[in-house]
Amino acid sequence: MIQLFNVCKAYQRDQNALSDVTLKIEKGEFVYLTGPSGAGKSTLLKLLYCAERPTRGQILVNGRNITRYGAARIPYLRRNLGIIFQDFKLLIRRTVFENVAFPLEVQGRKRFEISKKVYQTLKNVGLEHRLNYYPLQLSGGEQQRVAVARALVVDPLILLADEPTGNLDPEVTLDIMELFKSANARGTTIIMATHNRNLIQQFPRRIVSLAAGSIALDDWPQFRSPAGLTGRP
Amino acid sequence: MVLRAGYFLKRALRNMRQSPVLSLASVATIAVALALLAFFAIAVLNVQQLTASWGETLAIVAYLDDVPDDKIVKGWVDDIESYPEVAKVTFVSRNAAFERFRKRLGDDADLIEGLGPEVLPASLEISFADDWRNEAAIASVVERLRKDHRFNDLQYGQGWLEKLEAFLLLLRVSGSALGGFLIFAALVIVANTIKLTLYVRQDELEAMAMVGGTSLFIKLPYLVEGALQGLLGGVTALGLSFLVFQVVLQKSLGSLLLITGIDTIHFLPPVWQGMLVVGGSLIGLLGSLFALRKFVRFGSS
Repeated sequence: MIQLFNVCKAYQRDQNALSDVTLKIEKGEFVYLTGPSGAGKSTLLKLLYCAERPTRGQILVNGRNITRYGAARIPYLRRNLGIIFQDFKLLIRRTVFENVAFPLEVQGRKRFEISKKVYQTLKNVGLEHRLNYYPLQLSGGEQQRVAVARALVVDPLILLADEPTGNLDPEVTLDIMELFKSANARGTTIIMATHNRNLIQQFPRRIVSLAAGSIALDDWPQFRSPAGLTGRP
Repeated sequence: MVLRAGYFLKRALRNMRQSPVLSLASVATIAVALALLAFFAIAVLNVQQLTASWGETLAIVAYLDDVPDDKIVKGWVDDIESYPEVAKVTFVSRNAAFERFRKRLGDDADLIEGLGPEVLPASLEISFADDWRNEAAIASVVERLRKDHRFNDLQYGQGWLEKLEAFLLLLRVSGSALGGFLIFAALVIVANTIKLTLYVRQDELEAMAMVGGTSLFIKLPYLVEGALQGLLGGVTALGLSFLVFQVVLQKSLGSLLLITGIDTIHFLPPVWQGMLVVGGSLIGLLGSLFALRKFVRFGSS
């Protein structure tokens, strides 16, 4: 599903945000991207949705080399992705319904199809009773659930989440993780950047740990003891 | 895309509702710039019409020292009327000239009490066809008449004619320059005002790009918004200039302008009115286009 070959990204000369990253993620996998701040987690995600271009190396998504995608092709790549951010990035002047409907409008879907799909997705995240609310009328957890609904409404092949639970309390974090788990169970590949070790312990999945722009660890924690996990960077 | 025109129009109207102050600023900027342009156009139009009416009175007057008999005069009139430039030749006898002078003096006619028609010369008044009311045609007729030797004293207001033509040229050039400047200024101000609205909505633009909106999809509502604001600006400018035309030019200054020989003040003709409104839309559209150029990006390279 996703392959990175010797990918480097430098924002400034001689300062690599990512160095020689080679990584393969299969369809339907759930991968945690971990590492300290500045390790390159967000950069790696940005490369996958073409917000940044690699300085060197090749990136394949769903069999297509997206490394040199022009501006005209990027929107079509993103229509197969769901992207979630720590700060939600919701449209504050639009209602919950409109926020979730937005990606479908962009794709030119019919109105009745949009209404049906949005309602279903909001029901899945438990927000069908907040359809006409504006984001600022919701709690942080609810806002993030709207963002998850917006990402999932298009049935994305890949879900990219950049610290999606970073601003949320532990209870809400579990709710969000349950949503990710069920999306993953339906076949969506999930790459989630986080440095929440407790979360990884509670929902053990493959970990790709970055340190100073390089892969320091690529492992399957379900085969390790929780103590071993927490002992790693 | 055509089927989705309603969607883009709805979004444009919604954007305007959500940022009423900035929208009003754009509309007002376009309205003021176009209204200034409209006032100038009204001025140019009326001065042109005034000078055109002055042009209609352009004539060569050939003064006759001695008055030949009617038959000879008739021959001269026919001769000159055969020139393609000439519309009509009128013989003004000494008596007719004296009578005309008396009438022009009005209440002061007693100044010429005791004088007779012999003090004024008879003349031939040569008026020009519509297409020949210009300096070159008049000079050409004058030259031919001079060669004739029958008419030595020819008057045709040469200096005035040159000044009139230069004035008209100046009016057109300065009108074009000022118009161009006003349109450019409106364009820059509108582009900057729309840029402000885009700063406010940067999150929205970013979110659109993140969920796969194409460049056209993202830009179109803003372009429609710009065009709508321009349209409103154009209509407001038209209304404003009509109001000023009615209240100031026709009612307040009407009697003053009569003194200068302007009996009717004209408003912009329908085609110009249409151009003002369409021009407003174009300014809004171009302003949005310039503002959007640097805003919609899909990521750094």
